[in-house]
Order: sequence, then structure tokens, then C-alpha cells
Amino acid sequence: MNFNIYTNRFLLFLICCIAAAFRAESQNPAAAPPQTKPVALTGATIHPVSGQPIPNGVIVFDKGIITAVGDSATPFDKAGTEIIHLPGKHVYPGAIAMASTVGLQEIAAVRATLDYQETGTLNPNARALVAYNTDSEIIPTLRSSGVLIVQATPQGGLLSGTSSVFHTDGWNWEDAVLMKDDGVWLNWPPYIASSFNFRDFSSALKRNEARQEHIDQLKRFFSDAKAYQALSDPQPVNLRLHAMKGVFEGKANLYIRAEQARDIVESVGFAHAYGIGGVVIVGGREAGKVTGFLKENDVAVVLNEVHRLPDHQDADVYQPYSLPGRLLEGGVRTALSYGNESWRVRNLSYQAGTAAGFSDFLSREEALRLVTLYPARILGIDQLVGSLETGKHATLIVTEGDMLDMKTNIVELAFIKGSRTDLDDKQKRLYRKYKEKYGQ
Amino acid sequence: MKTGLFRFLLLAFYLAGPGAWYASGQQTFPRNGPYDERAGLYAFTNATIVADGATQLTDATLLVENGYIRDIGNNIAIPRGAVVYDLKGKYLYPSFIDLRSSYGVPEAVRSENSTQARGAPQLESNKKGIFGWNQAVHSERRAAGLFVTDEAKAAEYRNTGFGSVLTHTPDGIVRGTGALATLADEQRNTIVLRTDAAAFYSFSKGSSTQNYPNSVMGSVALLRQTFYDADWYEKGGSRQERNLSLEALATLRPLPAIFEAGNKWSLLRADQVGDEFGIQFIIGGGGDEYQRLDEIKASKAPVIVPVSFPDAYDVSDPWDAEVVTLAEMKHWEAAPGNLAALEKAGIDFAITSHGLKKRSDLLVNLRKAIAYGLSRGKALEALTAAPARLINASDLLGSLRKGLVANFLVTSGDIFDEETILYENWIQGKRHIMPGTGSPDLRGEYDFLVASLPVGKLSVKGSLRTPLYQLTLGDSVTVTPGITLHNHQLTLTYRVPGRATGVSRFTGWVRGNDIDGSGELPGGERVSWKAVRTHPYVKPESRSDSLKPPVIAPTVYPFVGLGLEKLPVAETILFKNATVWTMEDGGMLEDTDVLIRDGKISRIGRGLNPPAGSRVIDARSMHLTPGLVDEHSHIALFAVNEGSQSSSAEVRMRDAINPEDVNIYRQLAGGVTTSQLLHGSANAIGGQSAVIKLKWGETPDKLWIPEARYIKFALGENVKQSNWGEAVKVRYPQTRMGVEQVYYDHFIRAKEYEAAWKSYRDLKNKKGAVPPRRDLELDALAEILNGERHITCHSYVQSEINMLMSVADSMKFRINTFTHILEGYKLADKMAQRKIGGSAFADWWAYKMEVKEAIPYNAALMAKEGITVAINSDDAEMARRLNQEAAKTITFGGVSETEALKMVTLNPAKLLGMDHRIGSIKAGKDADLVLWNDHPLSVYARPEYTLIEGKVYFSREEDRQRQQRMTAEKARLIQKSLDAKSGGESMQPPQSVRPRMWHCEDIIGEHAEHHDHGEVHR
Repeated sequence: MNFNIYTNRFLLFLICCIAAAFRAESQNPAAAPPQTKPVALTGATIHPVSGQPIPNGVIVFDKGIITAVGDSATPFDKAGTEIIHLPGKHVYPGAIAMASTVGLQEIAAVRATLDYQETGTLNPNARALVAYNTDSEIIPTLRSSGVLIVQATPQGGLLSGTSSVFHTDGWNWEDAVLMKDDGVWLNWPPYIASSFNFRDFSSALKRNEARQEHIDQLKRFFSDAKAYQALSDPQPVNLRLHAMKGVFEGKANLYIRAEQARDIVESVGFAHAYGIGGVVIVGGREAGKVTGFLKENDVAVVLNEVHRLPDHQDADVYQPYSLPGRLLEGGVRTALSYGNESWRVRNLSYQAGTAAGFSDFLSREEALRLVTLYPARILGIDQLVGSLETGKHATLIVTEGDMLDMKTNIVELAFIKGSRTDLDDKQKRLYRKYKEKYGQ
Repeated sequence: MKTGLFRFLLLAFYLAGPGAWYASGQQTFPRNGPYDERAGLYAFTNATIVADGATQLTDATLLVENGYIRDIGNNIAIPRGAVVYDLKGKYLYPSFIDLRSSYGVPEAVRSENSTQARGAPQLESNKKGIFGWNQAVHSERRAAGLFVTDEAKAAEYRNTGFGSVLTHTPDGIVRGTGALATLADEQRNTIVLRTDAAAFYSFSKGSSTQNYPNSVMGSVALLRQTFYDADWYEKGGSRQERNLSLEALATLRPLPAIFEAGNKWSLLRADQVGDEFGIQFIIGGGGDEYQRLDEIKASKAPVIVPVSFPDAYDVSDPWDAEVVTLAEMKHWEAAPGNLAALEKAGIDFAITSHGLKKRSDLLVNLRKAIAYGLSRGKALEALTAAPARLINASDLLGSLRKGLVANFLVTSGDIFDEETILYENWIQGKRHIMPGTGSPDLRGEYDFLVASLPVGKLSVKGSLRTPLYQLTLGDSVTVTPGITLHNHQLTLTYRVPGRATGVSRFTGWVRGNDIDGSGELPGGERVSWKAVRTHPYVKPESRSDSLKPPVIAPTVYPFVGLGLEKLPVAETILFKNATVWTMEDGGMLEDTDVLIRDGKISRIGRGLNPPAGSRVIDARSMHLTPGLVDEHSHIALFAVNEGSQSSSAEVRMRDAINPEDVNIYRQLAGGVTTSQLLHGSANAIGGQSAVIKLKWGETPDKLWIPEARYIKFALGENVKQSNWGEAVKVRYPQTRMGVEQVYYDHFIRAKEYEAAWKSYRDLKNKKGAVPPRRDLELDALAEILNGERHITCHSYVQSEINMLMSVADSMKFRINTFTHILEGYKLADKMAQRKIGGSAFADWWAYKMEVKEAIPYNAALMAKEGITVAINSDDAEMARRLNQEAAKTITFGGVSETEALKMVTLNPAKLLGMDHRIGSIKAGKDADLVLWNDHPLSVYARPEYTLIEGKVYFSREEDRQRQQRMTAEKARLIQKSLDAKSGGESMQPPQSVRPRMWHCEDIIGEHAEHHDHGEVHR
């Protein structure tokens, strides 16, 4: 760790020199260089997620790929491998944060730092890929709490845009991206809408009168987009329609933001009517009402904040906390996300912890999958990441204790595709600066 | 001399009789055409006279002359020249009085100032003339000065049975006077019986475009300050400034005072304001009084109650139905019983038609209220004598008595019977015949003859109001004929079903018991026809099951689904073998027992024996901690920011407590027992906090802890309005430079204020000296200077924190706590030196510019410098897991577990000056405890029990039962709603209104933009 601090100070010095001429934000640590030598982590409890935890286990990886996982007897080339002995520690796959605005949002109240919402309503061609800012000061704080993969997603409108999946380290978006253009984001118009009354500051829940108009607009767009894909040489070229190609060809997911049961059922039916296979419901507050439907149609659900208030005055006070457990119990493919406040994404894993603590059906091991293996499967990257298995990426963290518990989730090491990531961040730098000031 | 003259005039009045006064009423007005004054002498004989709710005369006579009742009784001689109406079988009632009316006064319209940018603040009143500073104070307004008659409106009232109204302009905090006017169709100077009959007030600023007040606590403050100002003005302030609003307010003070509240909490709040100034408000309620009967009874406030009942919700679709809250359904069920509940509780009330969708629903709904247990006598009293008495007008109206204004109703029977027809509404001795009531009662059985041949039977049944006609032709063909009846003229049409012969049309007239007439058959042949009555109408026996009183589930406290019929009581409880986190020197005690009794922690030790009658809770492998304390909360509030001025020190959050916010219960379920409800951060000097215990089901006063006297200050972007848009760049300050000046300026004024009071108090001879004007804002600031009120300051960046500390040093006041204090770690040494506490978020940052250097290590750094550190929520959701937030300080900065837990228990208790009562587990302290199923700082921990002062406000087991009970109750109400639907009742679509959730970023009318991203369709 000392090595890191030294490097950082040196880097900081260099960067400051540059910053004087350019911009002050560029203080983040350098992206990790590719793995050059095999690494073995020994002595720790390994949580493969795909199987039972392995106390005093061994995990070996080379060129970014896991070559062995097992108990202490697991053989590997001890001479040619850097061995990091980690007794008492825990090894987990890095957490995966779906449906985030990470990299697209720096300071929520400062418009100049926001790049997730294009103007207009039908923007499938707006790509998060090219706006993802690897120099965001928020990103290093996420890896510090174990989030190593994020899905950067556009927001707003009816069709918000196209998301991509990134590592939380990298020199630039091309360097950081794990999966380009993984899906198009659709905001399904809600059946019951809330309208705000400025007179008494209450909000009223009523049938959404603009809904059918929006659905009709979507129908026209999807019909035209589907027909467009059949053309070999479309004239005129339409970027918006073209952007739907992946969705119609089954190469990209259609992420539908829908909260109410009626909207979930109707939007899935809508997507299926256009022959779209990869449908994912995002939000899904009322997904618990339609678990049978979701299971039958094999539709996955990415829940927004578990840390939220119940939907209804009369609801069970722990309703949002127990929802992930209820969905899994009902056989629904489920993952957790942390909504659109990018800085809060670092608390992603604690939502899984809360879900386990407040549900009668959810084990801690299963809860862990809600932020690792299950999002990887929904994203279609589970052959690469999401669990610690031979052949997958060595994208993993080493912690002091339980990763789902804020009390013990102290991330000591992080490897992204085998590269040892610098865990310094702006907040740690300020911490050190003032510890030093006070002599603490 | 004066008295003598008055006596003479009075005598003259009695000698001349009221009639003479009436006749001279229009003398000042010139006429177009010959005079048409009449003697107006009428005798109503053989009537059943319901003189008031308690007196009924039969076969009696009422004598009216010139608009007044000349006599009433059983042996009245009919004077010559009287028009006599024989009312045999008919009833006379005093006509109704509505105290909540705006009849004949123009609506106050909110006019946006066109010279201002949209959304730009208006800091001063835009009223012309030397009125007071606030545009919502209309003490000078007199309804009589604006009044015009409105015949269409008057007719609508009259047709419902009203004879007079107390009308005013329902606009503003102080609304001026109301005029007592009859609903006669006469020249307006004669129908206003009393010009300034009552004064009106409310908490709503109405048409005022001025920013202040924009919250309920601001409205309370404005009203209080206005009363104090009027007092000062009277005592000599008028020598310093001339102010027509204050002059007018003095004239309002002796009048009956009516407060438009609109709901139960507002009602109780209004009564409290009245108590401060020795005013007993008569309060316009919302029809929800049954939900807080005891408190309303104790307030002694008479209530003017609406009779509008919500329609049933159409809950046919189970998913759609979920929008409707249990409370809304319960209110639907219980609202018709409100008046009966008020009567039973002995609360004085009058009834108003205010709030009805259709005014004509008044009697329909009252009949419903009677079916729910309201007595007929009370119903009549509340429409007549009570409103008259409440505004001291029993000498004019409200009953049928000699000398009163001749306002009365002629009906076919008991006015509250469904079948009864209101025939006439006499107002000031003038007859108004109700439309559609001049027709005769045709009910009975008839032979139907066409061209003198008996062709069938005509049967007329049903109610007098809506008769049902049936025509039987030959032996078997029965048709419902189309009938219209105007006076004695009748049209009858029918078509024989199944035949293509067409429609037969008849016209006719009533002759005695029969009907004669002429008609045309479908083929065009003209015929004569006749209906000859064979049997008179016989009223069928009413079915007994319709008399069963309707079922209403018992009221729950608070009135939401999660409320309870019975509130918890303090128990004697022994927790056995718990891991006890004492937060005291003893630290964490394993396998320890804790006994609580009489609301206090009684003993802590091992092997304690349970006292007789105590409850023993096996707490093995569980953790007992003090109840969590949230230093920064905005739950349970009707409003959060006054924020319209850079200082609102005069506002009190206790005026805005909403004890029915479900988040109280949700936070109990997260282990929180005490919260500081802070004003928002929209201005440099905010309002006075309300520290509350989360006693779910109690009233605001019982939640509130008066001894904890705090006030919110704020620094940074919200104060300088940097994220509020381009239009909002007017209010001072707009920079951190200006914020400093606001503080200096206000505290210098507070010192001068203190000095002025001191020199006034020290005056030996106060005669002729004008006392300083009592200023509620400066009172609060003076309390700060005197160490009687403590500052919690919302704070972000180091420069401003440093600034306030130096202002405080030089003005010699103390800052108790910096809340949020995101950059506290940069000034921890300076804060520690001054013993200022820090109450922080665990890890919030990056949501706006001033938090870009916020770090999660802040709490640890501050704590290690010796600062008392708390972790707070500022968020209704996060407060449900404050223990998790506290645990983050272990990860970020290596705080010990005990210290981390102190940050949500003992430390915030210290910051609230409440650590002598709460925050640790120590004998003698309040039994505010949480029993957790796991390590309290673990993400997996959840409360098994949460207690406040020995009362179990949350238990996991009981919570499960409560959910089951709610499911059952909702199912019952859904079935009942569907019964109502199949019974043809009018329904409303499933919809719900839910109160606002607050953060300190929220500004009335403004909302920090970043909360709304990605929500375009929501």
C-alpha cells in the first residue's frame, strides 16, 4: 500500500503541474497497467458466488484470466507467481452496478457536468459510450467500495438512448468499456401518474391521461424501426431507427423502465409483439405482484433503490427491503441497482445486505449474487465476469470482511481483469491531508 | 345624557315596532316609478310550527308584518287586512343560516405582477394605500362594502332552505369582516342585517402575491405578529407610523371571530393561536372532526361543519384499487357519522353548505347524517339557532319568535324526511315559492277512461317529490307513461310495447280528485280522456332493516391504515440476557437484564427478577440499545421552509407538525425514537425547531418536547439561492459575503431590541411611554443571545463555517451544532475549541457544487479532534437505517463500534441538550429503547421492539399482525364500496392524495432540480 501512496504523490505532483495549465479535476490515479505476471491470492475466504465459499482458498489468475480457484491444496506454479497471502480476508467478484449514470454525471446540480439526458423524446441513437468520463472523481470512490463494473445509462424521454458497460478504471472510454451498446432504454409511460399540487404541496395519484398518446408514439416508432432493419440500403438514412438494430437482432437488450404491475405486463407484451427477446424491466416497484408473469416470460428485473420508502402509505414498512427476496423466491431473474445518483452507487452492495436482513427467503449468499452474478447474466457478460471461476476475468476485490455489510466492507485490493487497480481517490487524499494537519 | 338618549331611541323603536323600521329602510334611495311598499301582513294558520330545535306548536298561527314576526302561538287573533294562508298539514321552520359563505362578494383574484420575471420573488406588498406590510392581511376589508345581490346564487341557497348567510371574502390570513345578509330578492341595503357581524381569519394567504408567508408556520407567525402589532399600535405605536390595517384590526377584535381551518389539525392550531390572544375562534372545520373528538372538545371551539361526504371509490379493479389508502376508505365510511359524533361528544357546532358539490345535497346528506345517529333536533339547531347564537345574532335570526326577522320555511312535513317537500322559503316576510313544488299530490289509484271507455288503470305511487306512474292497459299490458306536471296541467304519453301503433299523447288538467283532458291516438284521432280516482294513496310500511344504524369501524389513532384503536401504555418490562449497549462508561454489557417501569429505565444488572405483573422479553442473542436520535429530520411536517425572507426566526416548526405522517411509524421500525424537525435551509436564519418523540398516534403537542429550544440557521447555496434559476436573484443575500452581513445586521438589531425593552422595563414611571413593539423574530434572536435558544446551522464549505464562528464570537453568541457540516473536517480544530458539535451525513457528496469536497471520513476526523459528532438523516428513508449510516464511520476512518453507535444515540442527544433524559441506557433515564435481532451496526440488524417512555410503539410481531388486520379491514371496505356501487351510489375513480415528503433542500414552490431527473413522465 505504501507503494501506492508514493506513486500517487508523485503522480499528484505531475498532474498538478499539468493541471495548472489545464483542468483541476485531473487528479485521479492512473489507470492500472495490464497484468504482466501470474498472481495468486492465498489464505483468504474466497466467495466464488457460483458455489460455496472456500475458507483458506486459493485463486490464481494470469493475463487477466482466472486460471485456478480452490482450497489451499490447489496447485499452481509457485515460483512464477506473485503470491499475496491474505489470511482472514475475503475475496469477492467485483460488484456490478446496472442502470447507473456513473461517468455521465459529476455534480448533480451543475448542468455543465450532466451528460445523460438528450433533448427530445426518441433518442435511441444517443450513446452513453462516448460520453463516459473515465476522469470522473466519483469513479475511484466506487472501486474503493468494490464496484468494478458499471452500466452507464441515458435517462429521460420515451427512448432515452443506448447504454454501455464499463470497468471503473481506464484511461478513456475505449479503454474502459467492457461491452459496447448493450441495450436501448425505454421509459414506459406509467398507468397511474403522480401530479403535484403547488397549492398544498401534496401529490395526487391519478390515471395518466397522456399515456395512450405516448404508447401510440412508441408503436409508430417501433413499427417503423422494425421495417427499417429489413432495408439493405435505407434511403434516407435515419440514425434513430438504425439505433434499434441491435434490439431487433437480439444483440442488445431492451431495458424498459416500468414500476407498476400494469405497466410491466403491458410493456413486455409490447416488446414481444415486435419480436424483441431481450427484455429487462428496470425499476419494477410492483414486480412482486407479477412474479408469475415475469417468470413465464423469462423477463429479468433490475430493481432501483432497495433503500427507498414503501410505495404506499399502508404498505408493509419493509416492503422495498424484502422485495428482492420475494422476486427470487418467485423465480424471477433479479439484480439490484442504485438509481441515478451516481455517487450513491458505492452503497450498492449494502442494498443486497439490507435485502438479506429484512427478507425471510433470502440467504446472504444469494443476496451477494444480486450485485455480481445476476447482473452479469442479465447484461449477457456472465461468461466473463460476475463470479470467480476458471476462465473468467480476474475482476475481483479483497476485503476486510463481509462485502454486503458497510461495517466490514473495507476494500484492500482490487483487480480489474487481472490489473491491480489503484484504490486511491479524492476523498482518501483529503482524508490524509487533514489527518496530517491534525496529527491524527 | 348619552344613556338617556339611547333609552329614548330604544323606547321609540319598541313603540313603533320593527315594521316601521323596515318600512323606512329605503328612504335614502330615489325611485323610478310609483312606490310599491306593502303592509306585508300575513297570517299562517293551522300550521305545525317548529319554532326551534326544542319547541314545536301544533295548529298554531304565525303572524308576520313588514318582514318581522309579529306574533306566534295558538290563540292569535288575525288582524284585519292580513293575507291568510291556511297551512293545515304543513310545517313551518326557521330558515337556515350559513356562516361560511361568500355570497354576493367578488372573488379575490390573484394577479401576478406583470413587471416581474416569472418566478421572481415579491418581497413587499403591492397594495396601494397606507396598509400594513403584508398583502395577506386584509383587516380593513368589509364584505358589506363589496356586497351586491346575486339572484341566481340567492335562489340556489333559498331552494336548499337557507334564508340568510354570513358572507365574507374568503381570502387572506386576516380577511376582514363578514356581513349578515338575508337571501331576499330585494335592494341590497335592506337585506344586509348587520354590516360587521364577524371577523374572519385563516392560515391561507389567498390571492396575495407577496412571498411571505409561504408555509403554515409562516402564516401562524404573521397572524400572531399582526395581533401584537395592533396592540402596540393602540398603545402608542400610531405615533410612530400610520397603518390602516392595524387600525382596522382593532375594530375586528370585539367581533365574533371565525377561523377558516378546513381540517382537524388546522382547527386545533387555530384554537391555540386564539388562546394566546384571548380569542375563542369559531372554527370552520373539514368534516374530519370525529378523528380527534377529545382534543376538539377540550379546545372549547365551536365548529362550523360541512356535510360533504366523499363518494365511494370504484375499487372494482384490484390493482387500481391499491392507489386508494385505507385512511381514505375509512373516511368514506365514517364521514357521514361525523355530525352524530360531534353531537354525542357535546361539541358546539353549526352546519354549513360550504364544500358541497351541489348545494341541494345539503338535506340529502343531512338525512344520511341523521341515519348515522344525528338527532333531528340537533340538525335543525345547527342550521338555525346555533349559527345565530355563535355570531350573537339570536336577536335577529335562528328561531321563530316574536320580533325576529320573518325568515321561515313552509314544508309538507318534517324537514328531514325524505318525502318532505319544501314549498316556500319566506325571507324578510317575502314569499319565495320553490320551483316545481306548486303541483298537486296526484298519488292514488285511478280508472283510466278514453272516450268514456274504461281502458285501464293509472297508479301513482312513490314519493311526493318523485311520483312513480304506472298505466295498466286492459288486464295485462303495463307501461310507464311519460308524465310532466306543471301546476295543474299534465302531459301523459305512452307507447304500447310490442305494437307498431306509435305513441298516444294526452294533455290534461287536475279537477278535484280527478284528471280530465284531451288526447290524440297514434292514428291522429282526437279523443277525450279522464282519470277517476278510485283509491287514495296509502303510504307503504317502511322496511325495518333500513332503520338499522350503519356500521362504522372504530376510529384509529392516527387516522391512517397503520393507526391503532388504542394507544400503547407504559409497561413494566424486563429484558432478559441482552447484549446491552449502554453508551455509558460501563460500555457494552453481555448477558444483562434491563428493567423498565413507569416509563423510565429502572435497573440494569444480571439475574434481575421480574416484578409482579411485568412482561418478560427473552433477549438472548439480541442487542439492546438506546432509541436512535435523528438530529436532522423533516418528517412529520406540513411544511418545511418559510424561506421567503432571509430571516424567518419567528416561525415555529411546532406549528407545522403532522402527527399522521406514516414516516413516524416507519422510523420507529428502524429504531428511531427522537427527531429534531428542522426548518429548511432556504434562508440564513430559518425557523425554530420542534424536537419530537415519535409517539405514533398522539397529537402534535404530545410529540413535541418544549424544553429543547433550537433554531435552524443555514449557509451556502440554498441561502444564496444559487440553484433556484435565473429569476430568483432578488432576495438578499446572493453571495456568501451577503450572508455574513445578514447575520451581523440581525444580531445588531436584536441587541438594540433587547436594550429598548430593558430601558422600558427599567422605567420607574411608564405612564406615557410607548412600549417597544414586540417582534417575534427579534424575540427568537434575543433568546439566542441570552443562551436560551440554540443554533443548529446547515453548513457546507469551510469559508462560511469559519465566517459564522467569527460572527458568533464577535456578537457573543454560541453555535450549538453545525449540521451537514460537510467540510467540518477542514475546521475541526476551530469547532472543537468552541465546543461546537457536528451532525453529518455518513457519505453524501457530489450532488451539488458545495459538496464536491465532502468526504465520508468527515465524522471520524471531527470525532478524533474531540467534537461531539452525530450522524443524521435529513431524509425520511435514510432515517429508517441510521444504524447502517453510523456503521459507515467504522469503514471510513476506523471509528470504534461504541463511538459509531453513540453518533446516532448519545451524541445527538447531547447536541439536543436531552442527554439527561435520552441517548444512553442508565437507570432513571427515559425508557426509549430498541431491541435488535443482530449487532446494531450490522446491515442485517432489524428492530424487534422499539419503545418510547416504556410504551411499545413498534414490535415486529405486532407489526405483522397489524398488516393482517389492515388487509382484512381493507377487504371489508372494498366489499362495502362495491355494495355502494351496486346500490347506485355515486362513485369516484380510484385516486389518492398524499402529502409531500420533505428534505431541507425543498423550497416552497421551488425544488432543487437534481431531484427530478429522469422523471419526465412521472
